[in-house]
Amino acid sequence: MLESTDLARFEAAVLPHLDAAYTLARYLTRNDHDAEDVVQDACVRALKYFDTFRGEQGTSARAWLLTIVRNTAYSWHKGHRNDALTTEFDETEHSRAVADADPEAKETLSRALDRLAPEFREVIVLRELQGLSYKEISDVAGVPIGTVMSRLSRARTQLQRALRKED
Amino acid sequence: MTHPGFEAQVDAYLDGELAATDARELEAHLAQCAECARFRDGRLALRAAIAAEVPAFQASDVLRGRVRAALKTSARPSRFNLQTWWRPLALAASFAVVALGSWSLALQRAAGAALADDVLSSHIRSLMPGHLTDVVSSDQHTVKPWFNGKLDYSPPVHDFVAQGFPLVGGRLDYLDGRTVAVLTYGRRQHFINVFLWPRARGPSGAPNARDRQGYHLLHWTTPAYAYWVVSDLGPAELGDFVLLVQRADSAETRGGT
Repeated sequence: MLESTDLARFEAAVLPHLDAAYTLARYLTRNDHDAEDVVQDACVRALKYFDTFRGEQGTSARAWLLTIVRNTAYSWHKGHRNDALTTEFDETEHSRAVADADPEAKETLSRALDRLAPEFREVIVLRELQGLSYKEISDVAGVPIGTVMSRLSRARTQLQRALRKED
Repeated sequence: MTHPGFEAQVDAYLDGELAATDARELEAHLAQCAECARFRDGRLALRAAIAAEVPAFQASDVLRGRVRAALKTSARPSRFNLQTWWRPLALAASFAVVALGSWSLALQRAAGAALADDVLSSHIRSLMPGHLTDVVSSDQHTVKPWFNGKLDYSPPVHDFVAQGFPLVGGRLDYLDGRTVAVLTYGRRQHFINVFLWPRARGPSGAPNARDRQGYHLLHWTTPAYAYWVVSDLGPAELGDFVLLVQRADSAETRGGT
């Protein structure tokens, strides 16, 4: 049962994390437009499941929202696979688009990150940009902590390798 | 190459995720193994590069607005679900009333309860940062013209600063199927929201009070307007405030403005 104050409580708990939500969505979709759609969708879903959040102990609202954003981004990607929008998920297509927009060499690391597989990209974003703990990342990504640890390590090695290649 | 399995350990160490004993062991190893120390330095450099070059993004105001609007619409239909617990009651009451031949009275009551919910939600929303007022002014001659062109009526605006209820500002809201004027007044740390909109001519009604979730709501009608007042202010002080609003309204009506 959702009471009228629940929306207010929801907004107070969740809206402060909208930047974090958008950042994750932006790196997962690699495009502004899709990221905004994903965030909006995720927030509406989150509102629906707000009861389940309040029931769980020890989960931060941020990690909870990011979990929903992540799942929304993945299902969104699946649902739009044949859509023209997702041509940006094509590696060569995408890197060309990014290179056109940002020809600066400074963007190399961002580009390398965009080229990582999503399961590696997300752990980097969650850890390096949002400072989530391994436990929180394991909740968000739905994998054991050991997997978080090895994915992070492999992702970092891939980024270093990509940087060395670019030099 | 570094020792296999050590990379993830070094990463966990640098992330502050390694247990204290493991961390001490690793530190000892790093102190004597140049290869692992080099690996660690590379990771530190990568971390610094990510911090410097990979941006975190900010949700635009447009996105924030979209999210709020979407939440508002999606909260609305479910709100009716939630009232299911009292629906059977309302239904039973309705049947009883039908038997008495005053079906419309029951409908009005149910509508009144739903409206009270809306007024309360709007009040609570208004208390969130940046939502209280669209026009911030303690000057009634600024607030009243601000509504021009935004509403199809010109709400009476009064300041009660002399009586200890300063006008804070005004905003628009959407209630009962129409855009309505909301006037906000302050009293110490409390805010009072006054919702008012014109209604078809009808009899004046005395204030009707209800309490919900620690808030007090008062509703009354004048020949010209329907009023809702909501606040967490004590009922006695809120009663004083309502008297002021009623007096000002009737003075204005008599004055012919």
